[in-house]
Amino acid sequence: MLSMVDFNVISPESVDELILEIENNQSNNFRFGAGYTDLLLELRKQSGPKINVINLSKLNDAKFSAIEKTDDKIRIGSLITAGELVKNKEIQELFPVLHQAANSLASKQIRQVATVGGNICTASPAGDIATALVALEAICEILSTKNEIREVPIKEFMLGVRKTALKKNEILRSVVIPIIYADTKIISDFIKIGTRKSMECAIVSLAYHFLLDDDGIIKHSGIAIGSSAPTIKFTQGACDFLIGKKIVDFTDDDKKVFADKVLEYATPISDIRGSEWYRKKVLHNISKSILE
Amino acid sequence: MTKNLKIIGKPTPKIDANIRVTGEAQFGHDIQLPNMLYGAILRTKYPVAEIISIDTSKAKKLEGVKCVITADNIDVNNISYRRDHPILKKGQVNCIRDEIAAVAATSKEIAQKALELIEVKYKVREGIFDPFEAIKEDAPQINHFIDGKYPNKNIAEHFHYEHGNLDEEKAISKYIVSHRYTLPRVTHCCMATSNMTADYSKTDGKLTLYSTTQVPFLYQRDIARALKMEPSKIRIIQVVIGGGFGSKLDMYPYEPICALLSMKTGQPVQLIFSREEEFIASPTRQTMIYDVTAGADENGRFTFRDVRVTLDNGAYTSWGATTPFVMMQTFSSLYQCPACRFDSTSVYTNNVYAGSFRGYGNPQATFALERTIDMLAEEIGMSKSEIRILNANFKGEITKQGLHFNTCGHKEALETVIEKVKGHTHPLVPSQEWKTKRYKRGVGYASMLHVGGGAKIYPSDGCGTTLKIDPFGYLTIITGSSEIGQGSETVLAMIASEELGIDISRIKVINTDTDIKPWDVGVHASRTSFVAGNSVLGAVKKLKEKISPKAAQLLKTNVDDLIYEKGLIKSVINESSIELDKVVRAIHFKEPGELCIDTYFFEPSSEFADNEFKGNVSGAYAFASQSVEVEVDTYTGNVKVLDVYVAQDVGKVLNPLGLAGQIEGGVVMGMGYALLEELIVDKGMILNPNFHNYKLPTAMDVPGIHFYPIETEDSLGPYGAKGVGEAPLIPTAAAIANAVSDAIGVQIDSLPVTPEKVLRALEEKF
Ligand SMILES: Cc1cc2nc3c(=O)[nH]c(=O)nc-3n(C[C@H](O)[C@H](O)[C@H](O)COP(=O)(O)OP(=O)(O)OC[C@H]3O[C@@H](n4cnc5c(N)ncnc54)[C@H](O)[C@@H]3O)c2cc1C
Repeated sequence: MLSMVDFNVISPESVDELILEIENNQSNNFRFGAGYTDLLLELRKQSGPKINVINLSKLNDAKFSAIEKTDDKIRIGSLITAGELVKNKEIQELFPVLHQAANSLASKQIRQVATVGGNICTASPAGDIATALVALEAICEILSTKNEIREVPIKEFMLGVRKTALKKNEILRSVVIPIIYADTKIISDFIKIGTRKSMECAIVSLAYHFLLDDDGIIKHSGIAIGSSAPTIKFTQGACDFLIGKKIVDFTDDDKKVFADKVLEYATPISDIRGSEWYRKKVLHNISKSILE
Repeated sequence: MTKNLKIIGKPTPKIDANIRVTGEAQFGHDIQLPNMLYGAILRTKYPVAEIISIDTSKAKKLEGVKCVITADNIDVNNISYRRDHPILKKGQVNCIRDEIAAVAATSKEIAQKALELIEVKYKVREGIFDPFEAIKEDAPQINHFIDGKYPNKNIAEHFHYEHGNLDEEKAISKYIVSHRYTLPRVTHCCMATSNMTADYSKTDGKLTLYSTTQVPFLYQRDIARALKMEPSKIRIIQVVIGGGFGSKLDMYPYEPICALLSMKTGQPVQLIFSREEEFIASPTRQTMIYDVTAGADENGRFTFRDVRVTLDNGAYTSWGATTPFVMMQTFSSLYQCPACRFDSTSVYTNNVYAGSFRGYGNPQATFALERTIDMLAEEIGMSKSEIRILNANFKGEITKQGLHFNTCGHKEALETVIEKVKGHTHPLVPSQEWKTKRYKRGVGYASMLHVGGGAKIYPSDGCGTTLKIDPFGYLTIITGSSEIGQGSETVLAMIASEELGIDISRIKVINTDTDIKPWDVGVHASRTSFVAGNSVLGAVKKLKEKISPKAAQLLKTNVDDLIYEKGLIKSVINESSIELDKVVRAIHFKEPGELCIDTYFFEPSSEFADNEFKGNVSGAYAFASQSVEVEVDTYTGNVKVLDVYVAQDVGKVLNPLGLAGQIEGGVVMGMGYALLEELIVDKGMILNPNFHNYKLPTAMDVPGIHFYPIETEDSLGPYGAKGVGEAPLIPTAAAIANAVSDAIGVQIDSLPVTPEKVLRALEEKF
């Protein structure tokens, strides 16, 4: 019960060193480590040959560890922690859904070390930050050992539990969120269902980000659901349903139709945290609630 | 009790607070002895199986392994009060905790590797996990070590109690309700996992155990019996305990196993559970099923209660099987009740076994009773506060079970919490608005009755104290009682300080070593402040009989005119005074010299219950009422506890700080029981052995807790105080469930009240 796989730790401090280490380890069993809040638990459960951990926490590179805003996008380094996301004013203003998601992750202590990159690369269907980023249609920027960047939309990046689009010679460097309609009204939030107020893994979650024009007409909508399917789902059909409409005009029937459309993407399982029935029921209820 | 008190009743920080917050405190995990080895236990892979073979040869060959034990190479007795529990299992395993082998090695890692090298061949068998299945005549026998006390081979323990004429009371009942309640399996979640360091000397045959037990003298006897040793050769040193809550009342197999490893190797051995192991292999609260029928007459007066309880005992028996002893008090005597029948059966299953847990069955009983009272009130059309006040217990009442309520704050407690919750509540939303209002609020009430002056269940419920004042004026209290975090050693120091006028910073409490301290039955039944407190008072009195005559002589005054204050002994007549330490030296260093030391043994005046379980088993009884306001989110099923109002008859507040800690901790523990916690088992396997999925409340979940002590000043308690430790947890789950039921208009009949249960209940309603 105490056993843990043996590992070596390598701590590159620059991108060049990082690339070199990734190259050196191509024929080895190796893992990246950022905040270790997922990795350590995973290694605890493993046995077998020694593995190398490429520790990212000493890496000194702005693209990995800064939040940069330009006119049309925000770039978030993969080593940004949940706590840093919560504190960032621009994210709070432009993407409340991401602010809320980061703020509902685990507990204050864990948020100080848990990273954006770790949350995405664990590829858990319950990842809070990742769910918000799917709603925001973020782009993953992947660095390869050729020192090249490849871009992959986040909903294509996460393929299943602990499965991502990363190749063995690649690492997630950063994610980019496009800024659209920068001066319109934003309705954006993250709803996380659990039994406790902290230290909860979402039973289901709903991330939504709507942009409205001056007349209250929905111009843009991004909705993602977590813990409802093997991966986080972008609910395109539900998003489309809203475009061109006003929230105040929705009848109870419209709200139900909308919730049904969200549910079309939900294929939840029953487990000790919640049954399939409960997950669907709650998802339906909270989907309606965002139009109330 | 009109005396002007100097420290009693004043907020006093715990005397062990500093070492605890700085990390200086030596928990069991911190102990390091020279040449110490590390122990580890191999548990079964399957809950129920035949063991075909155990091969330890590879483990023995691993470098660093000093000893491997199995049932075949130890000479021991079974443990548990029913003697139905082998320390290491042989031939057959009966639950997922079962210990098959143990190793001692030079490092934790090697010990762990050695476990992996032990080869066990199993033949997996079907188990029985439902007590109602296990009790059927054709069910196979689960535990093969029982003595045939009961005709049914799977009954571990049975209690029957009754008073009054049930048939007559039934006949005059205008209202009768019947309901079944199911209570979950929860566990203590002590922050310090189970641990033990054993140190056996092959030279003199003495065994020292650094243990977390809360009953050191019973433990000494139990260990001795298990290991076939003389009790006095075993020295128990109690380490700083990181959470007890009743979990350390029984002795579990890991403890004699650790001792055996030390005895075999002649080296100290330390055994510490991982968190996962703690969830799997430490005791739980009893899961039980209650069938309650209760009635009231046309005025709402209670007439009778007819109660059947089925307890899931698990595969072996622990003290937990005796919780009906406490539960029957709640049914016989909480609120006036003319007739009562209580019948409980504890049934062996292949589930993990239960132990004792703060409240000792009372949270379950109180839940079943208080839910039933709400249903009766609804049936009658009476308010839920009114029905409780009408039937409340009163001072001077001698219940049909024979409990003497010399003091009783029940009605005052009820009135207090009813009053306090008022005005904070939203009126019930009319039913046509169910479909439109998302958040609904409700209020729930519950009371509790618990022993508050010890509990006579062992030949002695007493506690010994030795007091020693040194020539420098410092006092040492050597008490038989134990500190398990509840703050009792601080209270004992406060009592001595009050009586002897010695500042609390000059008082030391010695309470961790059975070779030194006098006898005490242990920490249970909320008894320590009451029993050990009275014991200190008795010892002070004796010591003063030694000191006062000398002081009076030196001050040229009468013994009766002396007061002890601020390190001085003063005469109230001639205003003269003398330092206490001077008097001590005058006694000690003069011819013939004498030590300022004395010993006293206090035994409460309570009596044993007779064979019908009737009798005044405690020196005092504690009452408490709680009211709770909740808000239910009908979209998600989440229940938010907004405020908890607690009014508790504590007799007398000794240390407001310590008391607040007990109240708040108890309420939060009760809230976890009500809403979150459950050890989920499937066919004997535990599915959530971690804090990730076993939902303990966090600081973020704590509601507003408002406490109103009721001081009834019981003549038998120290300064009038009663036990307080278990009470705050007992009614909380019942009150929360009643509040949820009030909010959404559905009956809540099981715990925890999860969001999913709430949504399902709402779904079934509409
Ligand atoms: C007590 C507790 C509570 C938790 N609660 C929540 C919660 O409420 N919500 C939630 O979403 N999560 C929760 N988690 C999970 C975890 O904290 C998050 O997923 C976190 O964001 C992981 O980040 P990390 O930096 O710790 O990742 P690590 O553990 O360091 O890494 C996680 C995985 O990602 C890989 N990885 C990390 N960085 C990169 C990179 N740049 N490129 C490629 N691969 C990379 C690692 O190899 C590893 O496989 C909880 C965890 C714990 C222990």
